[in-house]
Amino acid sequence: MADKTESIKLVKELSRKEMTFAIAPVEAGRKMLLGSADFHVYEVDFGAEKPEPRSLGQHESYVTGLAVTNGVAISSSYDGTLIWWNLATSQKIRTVNAHGKWVRKVVASPDGKTIASVGDDMIGRIWDAETGKKRHELVGHAVTTPTHYPSMLFTCAFSPDSKHLATADKLGQIRVWDVASGKTVATLEAPIMYTWDPVQRRHSIGGIRALAFSPDGTKLAAGGIGKIGNIDHLEGMARVEVFDWKTGKHAIELSNDSNKGIIERLIFHPSGTKLLALGGANDGFVQVIDLNAKNVPLSEKLTTRPYDATYDPASKLLTVSGHNKVADYALTW
Amino acid sequence: MSDRRRGSASFCGSPEHGIGRRAFLGGLAAVAADMTVLDVLKQPAVAAELKKQQKRVILLWLAGGSSQLETWDPKPGAPTGGPFRAIPTSVPGIQISELMPKMAKRMGDTTIIRSLNTKNGDHGGGAKLMMRGRMDDPSLRYPDLGAVIARELGQVHSAVPDYVSFYSSTEGRDFAPGAAGFLGSRYSPMELTTSLMPENIRRPDAISEIDHAERAELREVLSKRFARGRSSSELGAHNEAYARVRGLMASDKLFDISKEPQKIRDEYGPTQFGEQALVARRLVEAGVPFVRVARAWWDSHGQNFETHQELVPELDHVMSTLLDDLKRRGLLESTLVITLAEFGRTPTINASLGRDHFATAWSATLSGCGVKGGTVYGKTDAKGQSVTDGQVGAPELFATIYRALGIDHQKNYFVGSRPVPLTEPDTDPIDDVLV
Amino acid sequence: MRVSLICGLALFLLTEVVSGGDLLPADRAIEDVVDREIDAQLLKEKIKPAAQADDATIVRRLTLDLVGRIPTQAETREYVDSTDPAKRVKLVERLLNSPGFARHQADSFDAMIMAGGGRESMRDYLAQALREGRPWDRQFREIMAGDESKPETKGSSGFLKSRIKDLDRMTSDVSSVFFGVNVSCAKCHDHPLVHDWKQDHYYGMKSFLSRTIEFGAFVGETDYGTVKFKTVSGAERQAKFMFLTGKVVEVSGGAEPTREQRQELKRRSDEAKKKKTPPPAPSVSARAKLADVALQEGERDYFARSIANRLFARFFGRGLVMPLDQMHSENPSSHPELLAWLARDTISHNYDLKRLIRGLVMSHAYSRSSRWESSTSAPLARMFAVGAVRPLTPQQLATSMWVATTDPNSLPADPGLDPKDSKLEPLADRARGLASAIARPGEEYAIGVSEALLMSNSDRLQDVLAESGDRLVGRLVKIKDRGEQVDLAVRNVLGRAPDAEERKLLADYLAKFEGRGAEGCRRLVWALLSDSEFRFNY
Repeated sequence: MADKTESIKLVKELSRKEMTFAIAPVEAGRKMLLGSADFHVYEVDFGAEKPEPRSLGQHESYVTGLAVTNGVAISSSYDGTLIWWNLATSQKIRTVNAHGKWVRKVVASPDGKTIASVGDDMIGRIWDAETGKKRHELVGHAVTTPTHYPSMLFTCAFSPDSKHLATADKLGQIRVWDVASGKTVATLEAPIMYTWDPVQRRHSIGGIRALAFSPDGTKLAAGGIGKIGNIDHLEGMARVEVFDWKTGKHAIELSNDSNKGIIERLIFHPSGTKLLALGGANDGFVQVIDLNAKNVPLSEKLTTRPYDATYDPASKLLTVSGHNKVADYALTW
Repeated sequence: MSDRRRGSASFCGSPEHGIGRRAFLGGLAAVAADMTVLDVLKQPAVAAELKKQQKRVILLWLAGGSSQLETWDPKPGAPTGGPFRAIPTSVPGIQISELMPKMAKRMGDTTIIRSLNTKNGDHGGGAKLMMRGRMDDPSLRYPDLGAVIARELGQVHSAVPDYVSFYSSTEGRDFAPGAAGFLGSRYSPMELTTSLMPENIRRPDAISEIDHAERAELREVLSKRFARGRSSSELGAHNEAYARVRGLMASDKLFDISKEPQKIRDEYGPTQFGEQALVARRLVEAGVPFVRVARAWWDSHGQNFETHQELVPELDHVMSTLLDDLKRRGLLESTLVITLAEFGRTPTINASLGRDHFATAWSATLSGCGVKGGTVYGKTDAKGQSVTDGQVGAPELFATIYRALGIDHQKNYFVGSRPVPLTEPDTDPIDDVLV
Repeated sequence: MRVSLICGLALFLLTEVVSGGDLLPADRAIEDVVDREIDAQLLKEKIKPAAQADDATIVRRLTLDLVGRIPTQAETREYVDSTDPAKRVKLVERLLNSPGFARHQADSFDAMIMAGGGRESMRDYLAQALREGRPWDRQFREIMAGDESKPETKGSSGFLKSRIKDLDRMTSDVSSVFFGVNVSCAKCHDHPLVHDWKQDHYYGMKSFLSRTIEFGAFVGETDYGTVKFKTVSGAERQAKFMFLTGKVVEVSGGAEPTREQRQELKRRSDEAKKKKTPPPAPSVSARAKLADVALQEGERDYFARSIANRLFARFFGRGLVMPLDQMHSENPSSHPELLAWLARDTISHNYDLKRLIRGLVMSHAYSRSSRWESSTSAPLARMFAVGAVRPLTPQQLATSMWVATTDPNSLPADPGLDPKDSKLEPLADRARGLASAIARPGEEYAIGVSEALLMSNSDRLQDVLAESGDRLVGRLVKIKDRGEQVDLAVRNVLGRAPDAEERKLLADYLAKFEGRGAEGCRRLVWALLSDSEFRFNY
């Protein structure tokens, strides 16, 4: 099953004391933004001999997401805010009290006009990228779990044509929204990604943590973790489900024996035939999923436990932000 | 056959026994001794006095180990602090985790002890230590807090149970089962696991009320005939156990929350923890001296923050509702509400975004009876790695609990002729938090 | 000093010397020596013991003690009606050789060995050992260092396994269960009064056990590991491999393992876990060395006295030394010569448990009435002047409930004809569920209100009280005459005939159920089962 055309190799590593939850390239180049557990947003030139992160400023809690568009970066945080940063001047443009609870992710639309954020108030919000004005509140995810505990809205992703936004929650529900109207156009379910333990431990674990649309916009991939026996640990099988989202049909469901933990990031190959999945429990892994062959031609341990990653097709470099490292890998796939 | 049991049996038969069951009602002891609680309650003046004087405990047992950093001792901004912020409380200068906004508004009745260093980071050992206040010595099984309170504050022939323990999740249940130790099975808890209603407390439909009662009478007559000329402490225990059956069966209503107004049920909320806390309030109101409500399982080795995001708001809600409800009924000044676990969690965050076992610097709280509310005792360092001020262990915590309830923490029990003090000699309670 | 206040009364040093010259001759029968020594003391204290119990009580007592259940009506009748002067010997022989003996003794030894050890059980191993009549010293060796890959010692590591995470507990329990000595006080300090007894003894015992490791699902042992401890003055000391008597033995090895060795061990352990194979044996087993020294001539008195005392306690309700784990000079035996004689006899007869049990239950002291009829107050229990009233274990109780509620017609009329007890033994298995509901097994068990509630209201009694099939209630409802009903019920449950007063009381009770006779019978049987007379071995 191993295909020699797939390989991954560590190129460069940057040690970090803190967890780095988010990474985003500033432009097509080696300059990156990092969202850190020390509340700071850093800028770092990964092309430099010795990359030295420089703080742009800070939130009041963990930085969970970063979006970059037209010379502006938007960061999200557990402090409930989104901050717009001018990348040319490294100045704060504005701070928006975006969510009533912890903000989990912020993304920019491919056309650069729109920003979307999700938070544990279970509302997705669509913002004007330039003005920071709110355009829509996306209300529909259940606020509590069936057993009366607070749910969480972990992730979101834009479609390649910028017309749709997918959001996904702890219970394994994905909602696809029409960006222009703010209405739900599709609802998909991946309930296996949520484990409620009603007997042994009486709480839950899991949720969809990563979403990605295929380059042609027809497929939507969701990543998380399968059912877990002992929910004290992330001891379940990493899980990816790919939907033909307009029909709601599953294209693929993949639970790979060799990788335990939760999928934190999904990236489609530009061809649309392969999917890169990163995640882990205590250790990190990366796997390449061949959507046509429905197999996994590459599955490797990483030197860090990843939280986010970005891939540059031109340089074929995969940059991973993780538990206490940020690392560049040369990826052939 | 157990020699240890014999030790406790001879202990229970000793003259000390009679003195040992302290006459908790003081001047009312003579009245109480001849009547069941329910009879006493029929006399309004007596009932009011009882209500005022009788002390009780509700232990919210956060099994698996809740995180002090996500509850009572937040370290916002520290590398170990996690994502949640600290919020001010109704008591100036005291801050707790933002996951507990309701308790933040009600700090006035609660004291936080932030300086527990109990050294035992193993679930089994930690749970036993924190339920008993000390480790068993291999020749002596110590009673846990509930059994001691049952003996100190319960009534000999109580018609209500005197130690009730809820533990519904299965994980960790066997780490520290309710243990009467050398006090003997009379003080073992009534343990509830699968249902809100104790096992076997309700008469089966197949037998009528009168048949059930007459059958018990026949049993008693036969047993008395057998006991003539025979003596054994177990023989006494056997008949004493049957003598309590009818009274306990009459207390089944206490476990029935459908008897509670819908408004109150809504306040406690729909979770199992909420419902059990409501039963706990019904029980202490009726004179049950000790109720443990275990909320398991907090062992967040992976995804600590999401676990606490889920469980802490429930604790915040249930605990604040319970305190409000007790206060409204005039019971809070005589009821001590404790939050405690087997240990806390590591400041260091692991790669699964979890926190691991940590007994070096963690927190517990005491609310209501006998404690100075609105106080914080002890201090941990900036990262929460160690205690920097007021370090206490399980013995000091237990001494404090006993003293808050008016029990002499140095009182001796006798196991055979061996004196066993309630807490090890030289243990001091935390006077700073006591009224 | 703090610790001495806590531990001060638990002294332990065995200074009672077994002096052959002072004891009754070795060739006397056990039962004779038991009676001689106990009677001598009664005489000295001018106590006239209770009379011998009646035959119905004796057959009930023996059957409960030896095979863990009450006798059937047929068994009782055969014994009571027999005029054979050797009937008791014959009954004891039959019971000792029936399958119930190994089953029930395995339960009893399991409770003794696994006390406080959680839910693990060594029953399968113990039952096999007892069935084969394996001597107690051999069982001890196997429990300490048995080869689990052999079928005959499978499960022998249960004792160690249940204590593997707590070496101090293992040390304390080995000393207490097998030697009747509680050394835990010497963990913190030398004994304040008995100068021979030092921390060295505690840590000496611990040294033998300190190489014990968890190895997959098995218990393993390494070749290294020594124990250091701090004396009260704070000095660090290296423990020797020292038995309780002070005897020191050399055990090779001891150097701390290197990182590689540890990793290698972990790798092998993980592999064994996967393959489910037992661990490789160490080149020298420190635990086997402990068994060797403990069973050596000159050192083996602790071992022999402890088993004699524990078995005496099992059949007489209390030991010759109480508590059972406090066998030391400050806590003398009630009958020191008897204990010494029994220990010597046990050693010289190769630790034969069956022989010792037979001797104990054949004594007159064993078969006294438990009722004190004299107007004087009852003598102290340590005089053994009156039979003890002992609660049945949950398993004895549950099995007896099944036997008591089985229609006697469905059981063999002649107890001697079916040596396999093929009708009775399955009842013990059926009773296990009910037994576990009555209480968790283990040393802490005591009668409490949960048992009374279970008996009063649980549907778990439905099966025993059913009206159908081979159940007693089904049989009773078919009987017209109330007197006959009462007679049958009392005989089947209590193993005796009702007296006149009971006959009237119970018949009057049944009369209240006019038109609903089945209910009456069920209630009557319930009252007999929950009555103290049924609950105890008296």
